[in-house]
Amino acid sequence: MPYTNAPDMPAKLARLRERFLVRLSEDLECLQKEADRLVSDDDGGALCSAYHRLHRLAGSAGTFGMPDVGRTARALEKVLKPVACIEDESRLDSGHKARLFEELSSGLQVLRSLAGHQTSSAHDPSLDKANVFDRTRLEGKQARLLIVDEDTDRASLLCRELSSYGFDSLEVSVDAMMTAIDCAENSGVVALLASPVKVPKVRTVRNSSSDPAILRLPIFAVGGHDSFDNRYELAENGARGFFPDPIQLPELVERIEKLSADQARGTRGRVILVEDDPDLAEHYRLVLHLAGIDVRIVNDPTRLLSDMAAFRPDLVLMDVQLDGYSGVHLARMIRFDAQWLSLPIIYLSSEDDPDIQLDALSKGADDFLMKPVSDDYLVRSVQIRCLRARLLSDLMNQDSLTGLLKHSLIKQTLEQEVARCRRDGHTSAVVMLDLDHFKTVNDTWGHMVGDTVIKSLANLLRNRLRETDLIGRYGGEEFLVVMPGCDLDDAERVMQDIAASFSALAFTAGQDRFHVTLSAGIAAIHALSTADESLNAADTALYRRKYNGRNGVTVFRSGPQNAPQEAH
Amino acid sequence: MLLPTDRAARILYIEDDPDIRAIAELALEDVGGFTVRTCESGEAGLLEAPGFAPDLVLLDVMMPGMDGPETLQALRNDQGVRDVPVIFMTARLQESEVDHYLKLGALGVIPKPFDPMTLADTIRHILADS
Repeated sequence: MPYTNAPDMPAKLARLRERFLVRLSEDLECLQKEADRLVSDDDGGALCSAYHRLHRLAGSAGTFGMPDVGRTARALEKVLKPVACIEDESRLDSGHKARLFEELSSGLQVLRSLAGHQTSSAHDPSLDKANVFDRTRLEGKQARLLIVDEDTDRASLLCRELSSYGFDSLEVSVDAMMTAIDCAENSGVVALLASPVKVPKVRTVRNSSSDPAILRLPIFAVGGHDSFDNRYELAENGARGFFPDPIQLPELVERIEKLSADQARGTRGRVILVEDDPDLAEHYRLVLHLAGIDVRIVNDPTRLLSDMAAFRPDLVLMDVQLDGYSGVHLARMIRFDAQWLSLPIIYLSSEDDPDIQLDALSKGADDFLMKPVSDDYLVRSVQIRCLRARLLSDLMNQDSLTGLLKHSLIKQTLEQEVARCRRDGHTSAVVMLDLDHFKTVNDTWGHMVGDTVIKSLANLLRNRLRETDLIGRYGGEEFLVVMPGCDLDDAERVMQDIAASFSALAFTAGQDRFHVTLSAGIAAIHALSTADESLNAADTALYRRKYNGRNGVTVFRSGPQNAPQEAH
Repeated sequence: MLLPTDRAARILYIEDDPDIRAIAELALEDVGGFTVRTCESGEAGLLEAPGFAPDLVLLDVMMPGMDGPETLQALRNDQGVRDVPVIFMTARLQESEVDHYLKLGALGVIPKPFDPMTLADTIRHILADS
């Protein structure tokens, strides 16, 4: 097959994309004129040409890496389709035209905002490169924030600052908010940021939706003056957080991060159900499955332990009276195994004598659910316990400051990746990252500020890397990243982008503003035979980078170019 | 259906949008390794086709002047290129429309927007399946 390797493809694509952006802004101007003509006397053919223009955008924007623009154009195209290009457009009644004008105008607002967004990122070469890279290689999902603010300067500044933390944020008006949410399929909207004045309207618009995912979107108030009255009023208006001027960006980012992690966690859960009545078991399974919980039914207790080992549940639901077995004994048996000591076990029982319940609880289970249990009650009891179980296990496995994997766990992950590379023959990279002159930060501004710097790097890493990459806090200011299926060149490019973005972050301490840089060493996991060897290689590269002036990325390459150079 | 193996396959892409023509050239030549010629209208495509002798024609559905289906009809009436396979490119993709285009004699339909990095693969899959 004549597949050509096209190394200059990203540059060529970027040029075409720039050209497309120019035409996009011309198209948007024309569309606005066509919309304006709708409500003037001279509207002959305005709808038809707007319709064709939107159709063309719908079919092309995605090709230039702007699927949101395409989807928004498609939505507007659908609005116009029934009325566009009919024989005599001017015969539409004026009320109908006014409604079309409204819809078209708010859609155009979203399109302009999306287009402006693309243009600003196109001017930043590092972002642009990241975009092309993301689209062609990484399927990482980016969190999008919508910003609603009457002060557009403040909103654009916030947009830019949030994007340097890896968030994709978009400035919209209240009217255009729903369109922007609907058209953001791929990069899901995770939060709405609104200036205090806009919070009530944003809430009203959000609550007009019937989609539970949209109703759950949190609203954060940003900017404005801090006072008890303001805080109380915002709380009354349903805001989930308040970040008054001057906005502490690392705190805001941290809140949004936590929130999206909790949301992702809330919908999952794995449950083993030990129940010998097949109809009842299937009913429970279905009810829980609809709530997003995975259930494995065990109807033969002799298979319980092997099923648990394979399924790794967050929780066990155990029928107390099983045919020939006692649930109480089975629960105690599960606890024989040290790895299941903290696993929640819940009895499903028709026993309502509190003394007998207590006796059973002391023998290994955590709680009772009385049969018959209502579907809703079952779902909620299981969800809340799964969530707690996950939080607990996160606490045990995660670094408390950054939420990243702890030292021992990231190292274990690296060992697993070494084994996988050997088995499957794929390429993977390991990165050792270290903050430059971090001691000076702590000494000058104190540990609280130092912690903020560390958290900011953790958040940036989480946002910029793929979901499949594993990130751990290796030591005080040292991080370890394992990138499965990633070759050295890709890893280098991604890390260079991250290093550049990080050095651009401005931290504040009192009146001072300062920047921190990082150094990174990268090594190929597949090229070395043990985890320690690849760690050493990454460490060597990091050491070279520190030696050669810090603030950047060095790759450890085995082979002749790495051998000591002879003097000429 | 097989493409020639001894030389790069030739593709004629008829499309009225100049930006799409430019990116399609990249997608098909740089990424896909095909030899590509583009035309801005059905009329121009009909003039170009006999001399270029394409192995495949990509045809935009909605164009001013002759639209995609009309262009396909005209190609089928042209002695020199009547057998060349045609794939439609369309931004409107409903099942009934796909069926309609296939009945007209198209080999396949590719939805727009397309991904420039995978367009060539998509074409090869359609050809391999037919």
